[in-house]
Amino acid sequence: MRAADLTPLARDVMKLPASVGLIFFSLVVAFLLSILPWSGTWLLARPDFVLLVLIFWAAHEPRSIGQGVAFALGLLMDVSDSMLLGQHSLAYVIAIFGAQVLRVRILSFGLAEQTLHVLVITLVMSSMMLLLNLLLGADFPGIAYFISPVATALLWGPVNWVLYMPAVRRRRGESGS
Amino acid sequence: MIVREPPAFFHRGPSPLARLTFFTIAAIALMIADHRFHALETVRLSLSVLAHPVQQVATLPGEAFGRAGEYFASQERLLRENQELKAKVLEQSAAAQEARLLKAEQAHLLGMTSGKSRYVENGVIAEVLYNARNPFMRKIVVDKGLTQSIAAGMPVIDGSGVVGQVTNVGTFSSEVTLVTEKDQSVPVMLVRNGLRAVAVGSGKDGSIDIPFMPVSADVQNGDMFVTSGIDGTYPPGLLVAEVTSVQKNAAYVFAKISAKPVAGVDNHRYVMVLPLPANAVSRPDTKVEEQPRKGARDRARGRRQ
Repeated sequence: MRAADLTPLARDVMKLPASVGLIFFSLVVAFLLSILPWSGTWLLARPDFVLLVLIFWAAHEPRSIGQGVAFALGLLMDVSDSMLLGQHSLAYVIAIFGAQVLRVRILSFGLAEQTLHVLVITLVMSSMMLLLNLLLGADFPGIAYFISPVATALLWGPVNWVLYMPAVRRRRGESGS
Repeated sequence: MIVREPPAFFHRGPSPLARLTFFTIAAIALMIADHRFHALETVRLSLSVLAHPVQQVATLPGEAFGRAGEYFASQERLLRENQELKAKVLEQSAAAQEARLLKAEQAHLLGMTSGKSRYVENGVIAEVLYNARNPFMRKIVVDKGLTQSIAAGMPVIDGSGVVGQVTNVGTFSSEVTLVTEKDQSVPVMLVRNGLRAVAVGSGKDGSIDIPFMPVSADVQNGDMFVTSGIDGTYPPGLLVAEVTSVQKNAAYVFAKISAKPVAGVDNHRYVMVLPLPANAVSRPDTKVEEQPRKGARDRARGRRQ
């Protein structure tokens, strides 16, 4: 801990809200990445981009993105992944609830610790999906199924960088002028 | 964990926990409605229309990659392919001529007995868009839908055999459940001796089970199963599977027979969707609106009893 440093620990408190356009655009891009023609092993390892971006915005813009948006996007994912309607919705809503509860805690840590928090959320979400599908009579797709949540969590850093940059840049530009 | 709620200076709506409860109940209700009652086909259809443009954009990179690959394909490979195709055309034209003769003969005979043809006419060629992105299921999505009058239940074949069955129709695309999908069943017949059976997908890639065959059944490695056509969905005589292993153990009532699908279930680009036979009769023991894929399973169960 630096002595006599009056910089607030949570430096994000005073930042400007991200624009609705950016939020919408990032979610569309995430959805687009999810529905690329993944197949075989790649499909098992596919990071859940939509979930990741949802967690990011639920942590950084809790007033714009909440469980309602997660529910709607979950429905869209169910349709495009040809799954039972409501599976992704349920899993996303639970994940976003986790993000909302852990929000202050996540933001007060560095990137590595944040990634670990996100890993817990994605693992819970994936286990939820797995449990639902096993209940519905599917076979266990193998331990490779858990590559996806790990890959999702590992992408937290890059996604943070990409999505945080426009907001930060805009704030700097405005305070500089 | 202590969750510190901020003082209620501003109206913030229901608490996260209340929202979670609400959305969880909504999601579970949705799942039940979809799974038990198949009540949400309209919702699915409209959402898929909504997602269609984004889907189109998403398939672009893969398509462009494929096109570029085709463009740079070596001449040698193309020549070889061309030769193979020519040989295949020759081979099949003989069979086609024979088939025409047989068809005429059949029409003549049926005319005398006032029966109906079991053979379907031509189908619709569809391009495979992508494998369904779902690690729990074996499905492909093809680029023909309601606009080309595709209907759920239609059989789908490729150049060598049965690929699967249309199970979900969208406006511009439809989902085809592969024969290897768990519990996807096809009524089949052994070519060598006409033994009837049901081929059931095992849920693993490239493997089909033939359950409920008695230990004494005459099945050998390499035997071919074709559709028997008795379900009124698949036209008879389409190749389905080749037997890869037969385990007969006197301790069990049934032999354990595994087969592999004849069609290139995982690696085709174009498939053909066959129309449902016009004269399909509803069985007296089941309701008409029941899903077609359940039919074969029910029958298998019936035979076991």
